[in-house]
Amino acid sequence: MRLRRLWLTDFRNLAAVELEVAAGLTAVVGANGEGKTNLLEAVAYLATLSSFRGAPGEALVRAGAERAVVRAEVDPEQPGRAADTLIEAELRAVGRDRVMVNRQRLRRAADLVGTVRVSVFSPDDLAVVKGGPDRRRRLVDDLVVAGSPRLAAVRGDLDRVLRQRATLLRQAGGRLTPDITATLDVWDAKLSDLGETLAQARADLVGQLEPLAGKVYDQVAATAARVTVSYVAPWRDQGLAAALAEARTDDVRRGVTTVGPHRDDVELSIAGLPARTHASQGEQRSLALALRLAGHQLVTEVGGTPPVLLLDDVFSELDPERSAALVAHLPRAQALLTTTGALPAGVEPELVLRVRHGRVAVER
Amino acid sequence: MYAGPVQDLIEELGRLPGVGPKSAQRIAFHLLKLPKQDALRLARAVTEVKERVTLCTRCFNVAEGDECGVCVDSRRESGVLCVVEEPRDIVAVEKTHEYRGRYHVLQGAISPIEGIGPDQLKVRELLARLEPEEISEVILCTNPNIEGEATAMYLARLLRPLGLKVTRIASGLPVGGDLEYADELTLGRALEGRREVEA
Repeated sequence: MRLRRLWLTDFRNLAAVELEVAAGLTAVVGANGEGKTNLLEAVAYLATLSSFRGAPGEALVRAGAERAVVRAEVDPEQPGRAADTLIEAELRAVGRDRVMVNRQRLRRAADLVGTVRVSVFSPDDLAVVKGGPDRRRRLVDDLVVAGSPRLAAVRGDLDRVLRQRATLLRQAGGRLTPDITATLDVWDAKLSDLGETLAQARADLVGQLEPLAGKVYDQVAATAARVTVSYVAPWRDQGLAAALAEARTDDVRRGVTTVGPHRDDVELSIAGLPARTHASQGEQRSLALALRLAGHQLVTEVGGTPPVLLLDDVFSELDPERSAALVAHLPRAQALLTTTGALPAGVEPELVLRVRHGRVAVER
Repeated sequence: MYAGPVQDLIEELGRLPGVGPKSAQRIAFHLLKLPKQDALRLARAVTEVKERVTLCTRCFNVAEGDECGVCVDSRRESGVLCVVEEPRDIVAVEKTHEYRGRYHVLQGAISPIEGIGPDQLKVRELLARLEPEEISEVILCTNPNIEGEATAMYLARLLRPLGLKVTRIASGLPVGGDLEYADELTLGRALEGRREVEA
């Protein structure tokens, strides 16, 4: 798919923006706090209907405005679909958001997912390597869902079952009455069904991601380190149903679900050593980047066409060698990047936009 | 904000499901403008429904009197029960004209978050009906969401050991629809539940 035109109304600090996006690279330049990232965030919003910075919907509406509108003309680049698709998302400060495709209102906003696809790179990605397991699970889950949208529902159902089970465990107050046992049995059956499905999908995805990430890492870091990515789910040998049964006494006593896909991790290592604790800052940055690029490659393979690359201030965090390596291995795709300073050598944007006080102007 | 009775009305309306503060205000002012007899007709309808309508003592559907219209209807097939979450689900099933048996309304679905366990549902009452009514089949017609599925599974585990035929309604594609427009989950379920074609 390809993004052609973009209109924004009252999205964050961007009151009124109208622009044409380059087929290749668009650079968005400006000082900090002027609204560069907001532009990227708006594009990403069309892909996921959420903020990649984890902000709640109402935070995306400009202060004082009632609603924000993100409107985009997208070329689906699919054979037999010559016409561009017009997507309009209206976010309200209060009340329900609306999504329209070609002026037709979508019955469920979730049906939009997949129309616009993006790969987001941000300085925050370092947390995938350095942070807690939830960041790594989210990275893997997002890729899983991109490849198989059905699993978004599985993940949603799983969250719901976990919440129901947690509430039931708290209500049990540490005692396993026959009543609690019978109800718990039902939630456990659901949990193990959904958990096995998600874990299988995660394990498959990690299996595909590992060789790609290893290759990209070697290119970006200009070395030949052995990178491993492995899905760690201690319960998978015995199966979730058996693991839940075994953990039940403990779960009831502690009032939480101690085993399952919500506790799993994705372990990253470089040359046999855990990356979270043993790798240098530079190695961690390269690995975070390699994981994103590998994910981008996977999504491109599955979707047939590459997603739009959104590179948020990535060069400021990389040393010149790594920046150059990244530029050299940047996938051929439509891309928007933000930067406060000069662009690294070898980066030649087709379009340069300057953002100042929430206004976007074409610089060249 | 407004004079006593008006504010009271707005607050009461605001408690209704799906009515936010702004809608509550709009409805309240609409009622204020209404001719007196129209407003009183609404008030009477509310009072009547609370005074005259009760829950059927047998199946917990809404009823006027002891038992509901379905339970007293002697033309209904006996021996089979359709278990639903809410009385309005009965209306939905009735519209199909495909089912001639009687119903049992659970008055909800298992959901610890809402504080609803099997004890809060009409499960014991369901079990009590099986023998006197000589029930041989129970159709689990709860909603196809997490809570409805959990409730169906709970009931199936309870009922099957009693030697009953326990069935669950199928989930799948809407009739007359296009495969192209079906969402992945529904289509996936439809594939899972495929049947051999009779030829």
